Amino acid sequence: MVVLNMQPLADGQVMKPTPILDIKGLTVSRSGKVVLSKVDLAISKGEFIGLVGPNGSGKSTLLLAILGVLKAQQGTIDIYGHKPMSRNILGKIGWVSQAAAVMPKNVRITVRELVRLGTLNSRNMFLRRRSIHREKVERAMKMVGLEEVAEHDIGRLSGGQRQRAVIGRALASESEFILLDEPLVGIDRESRNSLLKLLDKLCHEENKTILMVSHDLAAIRQTAHRMIYLEESIRFDGPTEDFPDLTSLAGLRGIEPVHGHEHEHKTPVSVVIQTGGEDQTKKEEE
Amino acid sequence: MIVLDLISPVLEFIAPMVPGEIFPYFFTMEMFQRALVAAIMVTMVAGVLGSFLLIRNLALIGDGLAHVSFGGVAVGVVLGASSPLWYALVFSVISAIIIHEMQTRELLTGDASIAIFLTGMLALGLVVLRVFGGGITSDIEGYLFGSLLLIDERSLDLIATISILSLISLMTLYSGLLSTTIDPLAARVQGLPVRAIGLVFSILTAAVVVSMVQVIGALLVTALLVTPAATGQLVGRSFRSCLIWTQVFGLSAVFLGLYFSAEYDSGSGAMIALVAASIFAIVAVFKTIVIGLINPKDNF
Repeated sequence: MVVLNMQPLADGQVMKPTPILDIKGLTVSRSGKVVLSKVDLAISKGEFIGLVGPNGSGKSTLLLAILGVLKAQQGTIDIYGHKPMSRNILGKIGWVSQAAAVMPKNVRITVRELVRLGTLNSRNMFLRRRSIHREKVERAMKMVGLEEVAEHDIGRLSGGQRQRAVIGRALASESEFILLDEPLVGIDRESRNSLLKLLDKLCHEENKTILMVSHDLAAIRQTAHRMIYLEESIRFDGPTEDFPDLTSLAGLRGIEPVHGHEHEHKTPVSVVIQTGGEDQTKKEEE
Repeated sequence: MIVLDLISPVLEFIAPMVPGEIFPYFFTMEMFQRALVAAIMVTMVAGVLGSFLLIRNLALIGDGLAHVSFGGVAVGVVLGASSPLWYALVFSVISAIIIHEMQTRELLTGDASIAIFLTGMLALGLVVLRVFGGGITSDIEGYLFGSLLLIDERSLDLIATISILSLISLMTLYSGLLSTTIDPLAARVQGLPVRAIGLVFSILTAAVVVSMVQVIGALLVTALLVTPAATGQLVGRSFRSCLIWTQVFGLSAVFLGLYFSAEYDSGSGAMIALVAASIFAIVAVFKTIVIGLINPKDNF
């Protein structure tokens, strides 16, 4: 395990910052099956973490447990020193769902209307003074680069723009810790690159902490500082550059080589983990 | 009756400009005025409610709860209640809560819980009427197909109270409802009481449906609840503009429907429903043609 975000002190000592998320010995079951087992994870402010793993490996379960939607059978989760869903942390966490899957097809809603929903909370949901939130909404739309299509119907936007709008909603709440679930699904390559640039900017310029689940290993490698490979428990956690190649990854998953190592030189630069728990390989477009 | 006292002078002022031989009575005679005011009020609140029902994929819950309320009316009639709508309200609200809980807890998926309540409560009403009452009488028919002109002062009071309270509640919950509909998980993370909002919405739906039964009839409730909202969605670009268009189409259906039913002596509920469906068809065809002319190569 590698500790990131070390802050050098004046006398040369290194101080380990207090993590904003601290998970210890987390075990979560769904429908009687253990999906996560004894997961330990600490995330510090300003980190950009890519969470990868095959389908059914527990990535979404981990996110839902952090959000407090799923309860832990064992272990503890502390976010900003509080339990998930605690009133004290409302607004600090932003959830970005997969726009392609979540956005209802039959609703006419503009980008501005959607982003404005991000400013809602339990205190202001009944009586809202728009002027207070207008600035937050404008700033969020500017951050995601959608000011020019602010009055457009979401349904008419491209997949990438739609995903940006959903990110804009999370930013409007001025959340500091943003969790994204497969934001790159259903998005063309060009939009994918600009979306990754946006996330990188949010991390470096806005000092947001980002935890992104994706099966697109190439994209995660391109952007994240730290990668976590999850398959029931954490099999790898460290800097992106140390992430193992395909063969080592197969070893981590307990898969024995079938043909020996004669094809090892053909290992592509990047991989995509997906579909039915099997690994698929894909050459990266250079 | 305060509502009628307030609106009556306005209606009488408009009366001389209203076309037709019988339709102007809706603006001058109290019995007709009651009918018109009730129809306008339920249409306005049904439009707002229907817009949310559509995006929550609950278009048919209105139909289901209307059938449930018919069961309530039947029980009320057999028990000799002077205002059976109160029985309908109790039956409908309880059913709406149970349907909501069954869907939230995923005991039944999709519309199955609505279908079970729809048929179960309708059957209860029919059996009760057959065994303990005199079968389907003209009174009962009024609840099935609407009896706008038979709305008395007490019914108007009930309709006005439900409509005004529901409209205020829907406007207060506007953002919360939109947020929980579009992405319930994101709403929950923001701290919104997603489940409570869903429950309140179900209760409001039940109450509004009951208020509509006498105006348009249990069998035709969906016409005012869903059709104007669906037409609004064809035209509007934002959720807010859809709501405004829904009001335009809903109120047009009511005025035109009442005009045609008065002049041609047809049932008001059925005529309103027919006009609403016709407006939808015209707007849909017009939109298709316009899009086809602007961009002939577009794939629909």
